[in-house]
Amino acid sequence: MPSGHARGKIRPMRDYWLSKLFFDLQSSPPLGEEYRADRRKILDRYQLRPEVRAAVERDDVAFLAARVNPYLLRFYFVVAGMPEAEFLRKVRTAGAAAAARSSHG
Amino acid sequence: MAELVGVYASSHAPLIVRGWKDVSPRNQQDLTRAMTELGRRIKGARPDVLIEISPDHWVNFFINNLPSICVGMGEEHEGPAEPWMKECPYKKIAGHPRLAHHIVQTALEHDFEPSMSHHLTLDHGFCIPLWRGGLDPLPPIVPIIFNDIEPPFPTVRRCLRWGTMLAEAIRSYPEDIRVAILATGGLSHSIGEPTMGEIDEPFDRECIRHFEKGDDSLIDFLNERLPTIGNGASEIRNWIAAHGAAGKRGFELIGYCNCPEVYVGCGFASWNLGAAA
Repeated sequence: MPSGHARGKIRPMRDYWLSKLFFDLQSSPPLGEEYRADRRKILDRYQLRPEVRAAVERDDVAFLAARVNPYLLRFYFVVAGMPEAEFLRKVRTAGAAAAARSSHG
Repeated sequence: MAELVGVYASSHAPLIVRGWKDVSPRNQQDLTRAMTELGRRIKGARPDVLIEISPDHWVNFFINNLPSICVGMGEEHEGPAEPWMKECPYKKIAGHPRLAHHIVQTALEHDFEPSMSHHLTLDHGFCIPLWRGGLDPLPPIVPIIFNDIEPPFPTVRRCLRWGTMLAEAIRSYPEDIRVAILATGGLSHSIGEPTMGEIDEPFDRECIRHFEKGDDSLIDFLNERLPTIGNGASEIRNWIAAHGAAGKRGFELIGYCNCPEVYVGCGFASWNLGAAA
């Protein structure tokens, strides 16, 4: 069996509808345009739990990173228009926070 | 009977296309040299069909139905769908359904149960190495998708066995055709994770040394190290299948470029199929 522990990685818990939102947005450039123009209108079509929707609306990378595949997370924030440097800063901070939590766990 | 005439591996970093202008001249030169040489070797092998092993970056599959391995059976595949790949010349890509069917049949006889698709879209993972290697026109492609993206993944040892099976499928295919294999992805990189942007060159170099040694220490090394580094290194599973198809012998590094501008430790390789055991 493979051994070892992922450095700073977040456990693979998946929120299905959040993942579906991200998947659909990166699959369809027109949907991406619509999303950037009116985020709430698109979010209304997905069965997101209130706390998940709120995290999407405030671009909470750390919260979302714990719930979707990392590639989808990355693709989503490209589509959503977050600058690369900002995404890198936020996703790294999310890892540091997760590592701090686990070291106190 | 068909003949295996070449086995190759290549990284496929999206920023080689999407962010090329931001790559340093030195790294542009190194990447171009390696990709051109890879393309030259593939063309020199004159394959009638190219079997290509790559992950699916959320283009064909989603978590409602996510195969560990899928073989593309179609007469034709779609070219890449990513908007930033619009300059890629491959809009429609010919397949080879007869060989694909034979591979699936052989897999089933060897206790693998792959998924099948008669209509796949071949994303940047498939197309960047072909495009940047200058393969135009393309030979027909039999795409094989490995799940390297969403855990749990196929085991490294299973991927090696898949490669061994693939070589057997080629040997037993009744048409007189020349077949090559290209595995894409890796080496170390991290996407959408806290370690995004980190390249582990010592890991990459050690991995290359294990490929060159050609023994089973490679499996133990990857089992131990893959869970500890960036998620993109999971794509080395594809290289492992190529290694299995080549009989674990004759690995030759064409080039390695630690390229932070594309976030990837980029590797390019071929296997000398005439190498002694």
